[in-house]
Formats: sequence, C-alpha cells, structure tokens
Amino acid sequence: MPLGDFTPLLARPARAGRADGTGAAPPRRRRTGRLSAERLSPFVLIAPAVLVIVLFRLWPLLLGVNFSFTGDGDRNGAAVGLDNYAELFADPLFLGALRNVGWLVLLLPVAVAIPGMLATFIYLHVPGHRFYRSVYFFPAVLSPVIVGSIFNLLLSFDGPVNSLLGLAGLGPVDWLGDSNVAMFTVVGVHVWATFGMSLVVFLSGFATLDPALLDAARSDGATLPQVIRHVIIPGLSRTIQFVFVTTMIGMLTSMFGLIYVMTSGGPGGSTYLPEYYIWIQQGQMNRPAFASAASTVLFLVMLVVGLAQVSFLRRTGKED
Amino acid sequence: MRGARISRWLIAVPMALLALATIYPLVFTANAAMKTRRDYILDRFAFADTLRWDNIATAWTSAGTARYFFNSVTVVAGAVALLLLLGSMSGFALSHLRFRGSRALLLGCLAALFVPFQVIMVPLVRTMADTGLVDTYPGLILAYVAQYLPFTIYLMTSYYSAIPAEIVDAARIDGNTTYGVYRRIMLPMGRPALLSVGVLNALFCWNDVLIALLMMPSAEHRTLMVGVTSLRGQYSADIPTFASGVLIAAVPVLAVYLFFQRRIADAVTAGSTKG
Repeated sequence: MPLGDFTPLLARPARAGRADGTGAAPPRRRRTGRLSAERLSPFVLIAPAVLVIVLFRLWPLLLGVNFSFTGDGDRNGAAVGLDNYAELFADPLFLGALRNVGWLVLLLPVAVAIPGMLATFIYLHVPGHRFYRSVYFFPAVLSPVIVGSIFNLLLSFDGPVNSLLGLAGLGPVDWLGDSNVAMFTVVGVHVWATFGMSLVVFLSGFATLDPALLDAARSDGATLPQVIRHVIIPGLSRTIQFVFVTTMIGMLTSMFGLIYVMTSGGPGGSTYLPEYYIWIQQGQMNRPAFASAASTVLFLVMLVVGLAQVSFLRRTGKED
Repeated sequence: MRGARISRWLIAVPMALLALATIYPLVFTANAAMKTRRDYILDRFAFADTLRWDNIATAWTSAGTARYFFNSVTVVAGAVALLLLLGSMSGFALSHLRFRGSRALLLGCLAALFVPFQVIMVPLVRTMADTGLVDTYPGLILAYVAQYLPFTIYLMTSYYSAIPAEIVDAARIDGNTTYGVYRRIMLPMGRPALLSVGVLNALFCWNDVLIALLMMPSAEHRTLMVGVTSLRGQYSADIPTFASGVLIAAVPVLAVYLFFQRRIADAVTAGSTKG
C-alpha cells in the first residue's frame, strides 16, 4: 500500500483507522524515482528493528522449543522426543524450582498490596508524601547485583541485622544459610527492591481516579477501609490488574541477579527458580537442549499464570 | 477532623520507618566504604570519622574494576544509541505512516515484549556464538538492543501517536520527504520521550547481569555488574573494600536517579496507563 503522502486531504480521513493498511488507494500520479524511494520509506524505517526483533527474539523462541526435543553431549542434535521433559520432571532441583514458583504466586497478593496501600496513603496526602514517593522508588533503579551485595553484607550470620536483633533479644537468624528461610529472605529483598516501581504505577492510576468520588464517599462518612474497598479498588481495577501481571513477571524473570549473588541457589538447592535452573544447565552443565526444555516449561508456566490472573481479576472485578 | 489527623500520623510513622529501611542499607554500605578494616570490625554502625578514599582507590585499581567500568560504559552507550535510533524510526513509521502489515508489526512487537529473556537465552547465545558475536562488544550491544527494543518501540509509538497528523502533513507540503519529516520533525519533537526512554534503557543495560554473564565469558570483557558479583569472594575478609566496589557500581545509577527521577517514573508508568 503506497503512502498517502502529498495527498493529505485524501489521507486524513483514512488515518483515523491508523495503520490498518486497508485505506482507499491514493491516486498514483507521481512516477519519479523519488516517489518509489518514498513509497519504500516506511519499510526502510522499520526494517532494522524488525530484523533485530525477529532474528534475536522471535526466532530463538521457535528454535528453543525445537531444540528442547533434541539431545545434548553424545546425542547432540539427535531427536529424543520428550526425554528432556521426562528428565526435567524427575529432577528434584527443578521440582523445587517449580515449588518456589508456587510460593511466589502465593506471596504475590502481599507484594501487590504493600505498594497499593502505600500509594493510597501517599495519594491521601500523608505528611511528607512527596518525600516518600521519591525515597520509595529509589531502590527500584539499583541493579539486583548491587542490592544483593548490600544485603549479603547486612544479612550475613554475624552481620548488622542479626546484631540489631540481638539487641532486642531476638535471633540470630541464619537468613541465607537456612533452607527454610533463604527463599523468603530473597523474595523479601526482591520486594524491598521493587515495590517502588509498582508504587509509581499505582500513583499514576490514582491520577485517573475522579476525586469527586472520594469526596462524596468521605462526606457520606465512609471510613478509610470502606473508601479503599468501595471506591479505590473498583476505580483502579485496570491498574491493579497491570501491577499483578508485571509483579509476577518480575518475580519469575528478574530474580536471577539476587539468587546469583545471594545464595547461588542454595542452601541445598532451596532457592532455585526456573530461570536460575536454566542458567545452571546452560552455563555450568553445558546442556543447552535440556536447558531449552526448562525454558519452554517456564514460558508455559508464565503464560498459564498470566492468563489465570487476568481472568481471575476480571471475574472479581465484575462482581463488584 | 482531629481523629483523622491522628490516624494520619499513625500511618506516617510506619511510612517513615519504611523510608529509613529503604535508604539505610545504602548509607550503611557507603559508610563501610569510608572506614578502615579495623574500624569496621570494632563498630559497624558508627559513622566514619573522616571521608577516607583509600578503599575506593583500592577497589578501583585492583580487581579490574576500572576495566569493567569502561566495558559497561562502552556497551551501554552503544546499546542506548542504537535503541533510540531504531526505536524512533519504527515509532514514527508505526504511528504516522500507513503501510501494509503495520498493524501486524505493532502486534508482533507487543508479543515480543512478553517473551522473557530466560525463555530465549539458550538458542540466542547459540545463534550469537554461530555468528561469532559472543564475547564481543557488538554482540552484547545487539543482545541488549534485542532485549529492550520492543519496549522502546512501544513507548515511542505511543508518544508519536499524540503528535497531530497535521504537523506531518504540513512538513510534507513544505517539500520534506519521509526521511526529512523524521529528521526535522520527529527527532526534535520526540526529544522528551527519547530522553526518558534513553535513561531507562541505560539503567536496564547498566544493571543487567544475566545477559552480560552469558555474552561475555572472558574476564577482560566483563561488565561492571558481573565484576561486582565476584567482589565478595575476593574481599570476603575486607568488607570496606567490598563495599567500595559496590558503591562504585551504584554511584552512576544514583546520579542518574537524582537528575532524572521524574522522567524515569514517567517512562515506567507510560505503559500502564496507555495499555
């Protein structure tokens, strides 16, 4: 489809249905070489980006799924059917990683509620709300590597956190060395580092909320919990949905740095997540095909969790 | 109203404590970096009596930190420049030019947004190895561009969509080709968005560790974040030097945050309100 260039009057009505490529054919009056260069220009502008995305993002996805049905090492390249998947689901480390994903899903409401509550308070102009807004967001820009290193220092067995707890007559807690505690420590640090991100998203959602609704609820004598339940939550359902999905994606795909720095998956494999497992199989064990099978499972898990969340939140949203 | 005021303060106090918990870990680290080893062991919490830069100097010169810092700067600069160029070009095409398949392209771009790196990393690294790009600057730059381009295109497209078609049409009547419109209208008008997206992408690339670990196996090509991960092992008995290394990696980010706080928050939220 040629551009509507040089024919702005013709093109404008069609532009309302922007970029659907089905607009009326503009007259082909000009026949110069310059015009054919013009006609190609959208493709020239977009080609490099398409090339990069297809080559290094979409193609590897297909390649990886395909790859997961082949063997490693001696059986390199040979089709092995579902062998990799069978081995995967027999590996206690991988099953542990999936169990940890289950924990993350259970902890998700907490990770969403904390920034949601804080954003509500900031929106209702708690004293110093501007200050809180920028302070809370600040850890979100730090690398997981830096965050992990700092908390390695703070949470070591003879570290400052335990000595503070000692002053209060508590602990010491082996934050990173106890297999029952370590996963929760890492998730806690992850929430510490990322709640500011969700907070800012919540605040931008609040900006779209009609203040008149809040005033009306208040003048009717509604308490804060009532306001939250009947005004804020229904009014922000889209934002809440967005935060749920992005927080889940964040937990499943951006905790590598923390795990790598803080626990290396230990103690006893208790802090493995699928992404870390994939990395170990690829980078340490040199088993790329097997790692691809784990990647495919992770992708499916994310798809299922994401879709389930969206439909669940839609349903609860409708009940209100 | 009095009751409301009291409950406000009841909320404000925990919020203040949380703010302290947000800031203090970094303050602790910076403070540790300023102490001698002996001072740190004697009292971890006391504030350093003077600003002592020896640890910073040690962390900078030993352990390859200077080299890693240079690597990171090179890669981040290259990736951000390329991201902004490709992102603005495609954003312009997708928002203001009509061509066959543009809608499908936009959807494909959004789909790519939801393909996490962990899912494609194994085949990606293999493709990179096959083309000789592993362990090279262009290889890591390309990996970052591929990773953050869908997001960049998405934001640039939504930003450019707000520019009225009349402006583009007027520029064409003045005799500009599509490329002229891009260079004379879209690039200058897109400056605020380019700055926000550029800052955010710079943070993403600077902070990444997984992609860098996979793409740059040799020690001389390590990025700073990968370098930081090995500091703990090297300086397990010398916490002040370890803290100094962490501080060196954090300071550029802190500076960027202080300068561009609002822009970062805007870019982060742009996706949530439009989508």
